[in-house]
Amino acid sequence: MSEGKKRTQFSETEEFEPFAFQVSPELNEQYLYALQDYHPRYLEETDSTTPWVHPGLLLNQSNLTRSPSFGLNAGMAGVHAKEEVEFFNPAKVGKEFKVTWKVVEEYEKRDKIYTVIQALVVDEDGREILRRKTTGVLAKGQK
Amino acid sequence: MKLSPKTEVGAEFTGKGRTISEARVFAFSGGRLNGPGWPARNIHTDLEFAQSCGLQTRSVSATQYMGYLIELLIDLFGENWLSHGKMDLKFIAVVDVGDRLVPKAVIISKESEGPRTKFSLEIWCEDQRGNKVTIGTAMGLI
Repeated sequence: MSEGKKRTQFSETEEFEPFAFQVSPELNEQYLYALQDYHPRYLEETDSTTPWVHPGLLLNQSNLTRSPSFGLNAGMAGVHAKEEVEFFNPAKVGKEFKVTWKVVEEYEKRDKIYTVIQALVVDEDGREILRRKTTGVLAKGQK
Repeated sequence: MKLSPKTEVGAEFTGKGRTISEARVFAFSGGRLNGPGWPARNIHTDLEFAQSCGLQTRSVSATQYMGYLIELLIDLFGENWLSHGKMDLKFIAVVDVGDRLVPKAVIISKESEGPRTKFSLEIWCEDQRGNKVTIGTAMGLI
């Protein structure tokens, strides 16, 4: 959890500080282990291409919790309710990626507040890799 | 298992089943392996943390089993799916550490789109009790 601004809800059109990360072969392999998916496309270098980043890594690294400006009060957590993802290009190991987020909608349903956040992942060459729209709801403890 | 333009509506596909061990949850949701603060404490890795947020148990990150569905969709459409594919999901049940999930798909429509065939699929992950934990749709071209 980052030390970003603490909050109990989000405001529409709010933008978050972008997050940049580089994918090393070791980081990619950590996710291949987690996902039990050792397909050669994620591991082997060929004459024409370097190994691909597992899409599961990109999804995990583009969760809003990665933004340096994200933070929640103690006893609160975001829970994933819905997700739309569109892929544009495969991502290559060794590249740096930048994630940007913005709140696109907030609504109430059955006494819970849902927030819809759009994220875009772009590589260091400016190629769009994926866009996702995540709907989350805040879980709160008793304190 | 790859789709072809001749693949019929109604065809069903089952991907690889996986038991989600604690070590794999930590690898996915614990931050950089052996980095500072590893494993991160969050609702995926730490029962006490999850309960402090009002949750009954830890829950495996939904993005972890989205990865299982992506593997099935790449098997069906080929690697090119990562250049145009879409999926739309709802997460309808908690997945706990130790659960076993299987990704599944069924073709619900197909249509010509220029020289290619566009398929729409219903997709889901099922746990070891046969309960669906995520449901949704995916689209891809062959």
